[in-house]
Amino acid sequence: MKRRKIIRIGAILALAGLLIGGGIGLYMFNMPHRNVQSAQTDFSLTSSQIVSEYLTDKEAANIKYLAADGDSKILEITGVVSGISEDFNGNQVVLLKGNNDEAGVSATFTADSNASVSKIVVGETTTVKGVIRSGAAYDDDLELYENVVLEQSSIINN
Amino acid sequence: MQKLKVLLAGAALLFSIAAFSQSAEKYISSKSHIKFFSTTPVEDIEANNYASVSTINPKTGAVVFSVPMQSFEFEKAMMQKHFNNEHFLESSVYPKSKLKGMITNLSDIDFNKDGKYEANFEGEITIKDKTQKLEDSGTITVAGGSLTLDTTFDLTLGDFGITFDEGEMVSTKIAKSVEVSVKSEYQSN
Repeated sequence: MKRRKIIRIGAILALAGLLIGGGIGLYMFNMPHRNVQSAQTDFSLTSSQIVSEYLTDKEAANIKYLAADGDSKILEITGVVSGISEDFNGNQVVLLKGNNDEAGVSATFTADSNASVSKIVVGETTTVKGVIRSGAAYDDDLELYENVVLEQSSIINN
Repeated sequence: MQKLKVLLAGAALLFSIAAFSQSAEKYISSKSHIKFFSTTPVEDIEANNYASVSTINPKTGAVVFSVPMQSFEFEKAMMQKHFNNEHFLESSVYPKSKLKGMITNLSDIDFNKDGKYEANFEGEITIKDKTQKLEDSGTITVAGGSLTLDTTFDLTLGDFGITFDEGEMVSTKIAKSVEVSVKSEYQSN
């Protein structure tokens, strides 16, 4: 009788464990992407500041801004709009770049935030919030300065 | 004095003609789509990247791509995390991958004449700290001074030291060979 009870409790515990483990696994598997816009901003700076940080010490800047799991720092970048274009995904791309800077910050918007780009014009100063994907650098093969890449962006001061 | 003026005007004219007749030094693309696709019996996985920068030099045939790895977006957040992490692409340490090489049949392509040209490419691709040779062929479409490049090739992840640790959910699901397709649009600078 006692032995049966132990087996029963054991079976219930095993089943419960399986359900909880499976539930966590399923949750992890279907975990939604981080919502960049509702998450807290990690750093606020100008496009010139972040470009100069990267051009001065790329390694240090990568350690500061890039996360190992790809959910890197969320930035608010203020700068002069120097170009507006569209990518192959149909999203707006706003380039913030100081007049005397070698590189700028290229911010890609989303299906939800694309419309807000119509409110800004080239030449004006704006602030964009987004997640950093990569930094600025001079590339010897491209023979070009590459911009800081910001994604999941939206304008926050208009 | 009058003579000097004529001479200067002539020199200025010559300069502007020279500047105009010189064809574009390089084509630059910041509008691109790189997709990788992996298929296994369990499921298909794809990731998309719209943030690469590329150049084509019409004189030398040099082609370069710089690809920010954290810009690859997956449908599932967890896969994206695994893709970036230290067991897989280590994107915080190696934020960019690079492809560079030469078009080997440059004489077949007329960058000044609209049309579709087959381009053969020989070069290398660097992912993380490993570099591998790559041979590929694609299409270059010339239209009104801009170019579009389309190509598809297969990559074997093991060649880049991307290992398949047991227990890594993504690793067991991603096929060991993935198909990479590239489309990029260039403007002359």
